[in-house]
Amino acid sequence: MTRAEAIALVLSRLAPEDIVVAADGAISREAYRSADRTRSFYMLGSMGHVASIALGLALTRRERVVALDGDGNLLMGFGNLALIGGLRPANLYHLILDNQVYATTGGQATLSRQVDLAAAASGCGYPCARRCGPGEDAEAAMDAWLGVAGPALLDLVVDPLDPGPVAKRIPMTPEEIALQVRAALGAS
Amino acid sequence: MSASRRLDALQGAGVELVAGVPCSYLVRFFAACEALPPGRYVAAPREDHAVAVCAGAWLGGRPSLAAMQNSGLGYCLEVLTSLHLMYHMPLPMLVSDRGEPTDYEEHRILGQRTRHLLDLFGIPWRVATAGDQEEEAEWLVRTANEGRLPAVLLVGKEADV
Repeated sequence: MTRAEAIALVLSRLAPEDIVVAADGAISREAYRSADRTRSFYMLGSMGHVASIALGLALTRRERVVALDGDGNLLMGFGNLALIGGLRPANLYHLILDNQVYATTGGQATLSRQVDLAAAASGCGYPCARRCGPGEDAEAAMDAWLGVAGPALLDLVVDPLDPGPVAKRIPMTPEEIALQVRAALGAS
Repeated sequence: MSASRRLDALQGAGVELVAGVPCSYLVRFFAACEALPPGRYVAAPREDHAVAVCAGAWLGGRPSLAAMQNSGLGYCLEVLTSLHLMYHMPLPMLVSDRGEPTDYEEHRILGQRTRHLLDLFGIPWRVATAGDQEEEAEWLVRTANEGRLPAVLLVGKEADV
């Protein structure tokens, strides 16, 4: 399964009121291309902080908050596992699109080939954390992940390279992205 | 009323959530934070996580404050620049003012450059006194909100009231 396919499958499972935080780089661009939602916050930088932004939203809102994270991103902000596992917000759903490489910088390997991200999340206190490897039923894993009380983590292994055309940059300024989410949440 | 007049004043100015990492110069402030209701104080493992939590809270409509030792500003530079400054998000920050010549060595290099660092990135700052917490809290929250950027109140040991 490609990363773009996985993102499309997750977004198709969300309710309109669900809030999404998408990681900087390809994950944000593919999420925007797949299904732009006014309740999606697209990161353009600050790598490593997807999950902490999602946590701030989850502590503030009643709606479900879905973090679209990457393996390199999570490894950079690994303290987020302790932060979320310690506070345990029941409305936080954490997806790792785990391609095991830094795809946007040329495909260099990340440590996710050696490190069990789901086991780390369990050890940090996530009540539900599992890995879905190549050849396993990704759609069933997504349904199970979104069907339990959070915080729940799904480490979804995806292809290292996307065959399709690279998603274009999001045609909104950072300020417009933030204000769109604030307005959709009635916070402006 | 909490055990910290500083925290009371910040709450009076609109702060509803605090995320941070403690500093021994801010013992009174952090003790009062720990007594807040669940979900209103986020004890982060590192300062940049605290700052990113505040960004999420702001997106969701909850005014928040990041609190830390000035050494933590180093960890925060990437988040402050490519999240708060770039997306024009307000962020009141309470930062300890360490690094005076009598302070320990590990606090001096960054501590004595904290003001330069904030100036370099165009982040407004002020030094807190032990006297007028309400006015200082109002300045901090108003400066962050009106400029839609991070603003810093530097707090020395004697101003942790």
